[in-house]
Amino acid sequence: VSLAGIRDKVRAGEPLSLADGVALFQHPNLLEVGALANEVRERLHGDRTFFNRNLHINATNVCEASCMFCSFARLQPGDKGAYTMTHEEAWGKLRARVAAADPITEIHIVNGLHPGLPFDYYTELLAGLKRIQPSIHLKAFTAVEIFYFAKKFAMPVADVIAALRAAGLDSLPGGGAEIFAPRARKKICGDKCTGDEWLDVHRTAHRMGLRSNCTMLYGTIETVEERVDHMLQLRALQDETGGFQTFIPLAFHPDNNALMKLPAPTGVDDLRTYAVARLMLNNIPHIKAYWIMLGVKTAQTALWFGADDLDGTVQEEKIYHMAGAETPQAMSPAEIVRIIRDAGRTPVERDTLYNVVAEGAALAPDGPYRRDVRRGHPKLEVVS
Amino acid sequence: MTAPAVDGNTTTAPETLATLDLFVLARQAVAARDSRWSRRGFILRARQPQANDIVPVPFPFRNGETDAERLERLASIAAAGSPPAIMPVPTGEAYGLDTLRCFALCRLALPETPHVVADVTTLGPRLAQMAFGFGADALWAPIVAERALRLGANANNPALTRKEAVTLIRGAGLTACERMADGTFQEVTT
Repeated sequence: VSLAGIRDKVRAGEPLSLADGVALFQHPNLLEVGALANEVRERLHGDRTFFNRNLHINATNVCEASCMFCSFARLQPGDKGAYTMTHEEAWGKLRARVAAADPITEIHIVNGLHPGLPFDYYTELLAGLKRIQPSIHLKAFTAVEIFYFAKKFAMPVADVIAALRAAGLDSLPGGGAEIFAPRARKKICGDKCTGDEWLDVHRTAHRMGLRSNCTMLYGTIETVEERVDHMLQLRALQDETGGFQTFIPLAFHPDNNALMKLPAPTGVDDLRTYAVARLMLNNIPHIKAYWIMLGVKTAQTALWFGADDLDGTVQEEKIYHMAGAETPQAMSPAEIVRIIRDAGRTPVERDTLYNVVAEGAALAPDGPYRRDVRRGHPKLEVVS
Repeated sequence: MTAPAVDGNTTTAPETLATLDLFVLARQAVAARDSRWSRRGFILRARQPQANDIVPVPFPFRNGETDAERLERLASIAAAGSPPAIMPVPTGEAYGLDTLRCFALCRLALPETPHVVADVTTLGPRLAQMAFGFGADALWAPIVAERALRLGANANNPALTRKEAVTLIRGAGLTACERMADGTFQEVTT
């Protein structure tokens, strides 16, 4: 498989094959792969780069699953470091943002698989947040959690989603996909739902009219063939339902977990994974460089290797910081705007469903400006 | 002014480097690096200088500078006698893409300087490795026998084990080489 052949396919809008994806991972010249991904990124979005104002709530880290890559979970409620928020504590996170006049548009909620919480803990959690701010978008519960609820409370997946939706659920986050390949999945997270089950939860959600995101954990024990296969399975579901908005490659963090002897993915591996994702997933609109995991500099660079979204302001991220992430736990909108502009891109504040909240002059506290990294004039220029 | 940069098919005069597309600039910088070093990447140990050590000359750069300003300073360095190694070092906050572009400019504007060096201490291992895609050919890092987990007070320890340094260079698609006591470079085969 030659890069020229892949380039022809990409420019003709043809989907790439498993062999094409593997060839992109193995191509010796990262720049050529990156430039092709950037071509697709700019064809889809031009220079526009998206972010949102969001808040993360991880209501409990008590989790029955013992995934080897996880530094967040505690197996039992009494274990050292284990916590479960009361509703008031969780709702207090939103009340604090409201009191600070922080116009967040989304709350991202992901938790451990707590064996002792009743289902109405979750429905009331959502309902209470909606009571505080009815307009807030609740992107909550990974497919792994939804599947766990279905098993634990003996409900069909569709009924779980319907009940959560009635309580305020608006969309699903993309976590828990990890890597679909049974060989690797069995070793690193064998006691959570399978790849097929993960996909089926999203299929059900899409059919019920919900949108969702999708992810891939990379950098543990998976092969490049397994990475590409994972992307192809997501692409196939997207062909079927069209419900995915964003693909988020998640870099493995090795500290504080059972895989701490593995090296973390390198910067080149990060950029290549983003570029290959943009090229393979021709039917998923957005590729998100999650700055919390990648680090701000790598995330910014990824904006030229296929990514068009930086995620959001976040606030209080716990899962990756317990795994050794060295990034801050929050960034201000002004910082995110500056990072995007300094990459030579145009920031667009979005809501969860990619409706534009603000762009252009509305995002520029110090005046509209741009910086042309591509052409090498990094002075900020005032533009009309 | 220094000699024009060469990428195999095209040449670019230094004064026009600032106008190049990011990917074109990077390709030219990588081609210039590879024409000298044939896709080899080097481990330089940050330590007290010893005989035969190559000690890079820092090239401080800051956020907000233009390419033209950087090229002017690089021309002055070249005019004073090209150093054996140049090491772009951000002063204050530096963004990823701006840093990588600076590496490409250093490679292309200093064709007589053998090494363009990525400093793991100031850039971090991820960005330092990415610099190999923009013309760098060497890592500058404290090399230790064993590294503690990057947690707590050790979170920002830039030290790498030899194996980690080799992994970064190989991961960038280059053949890892280390400098021997006699000043020669030897390919790492383990």
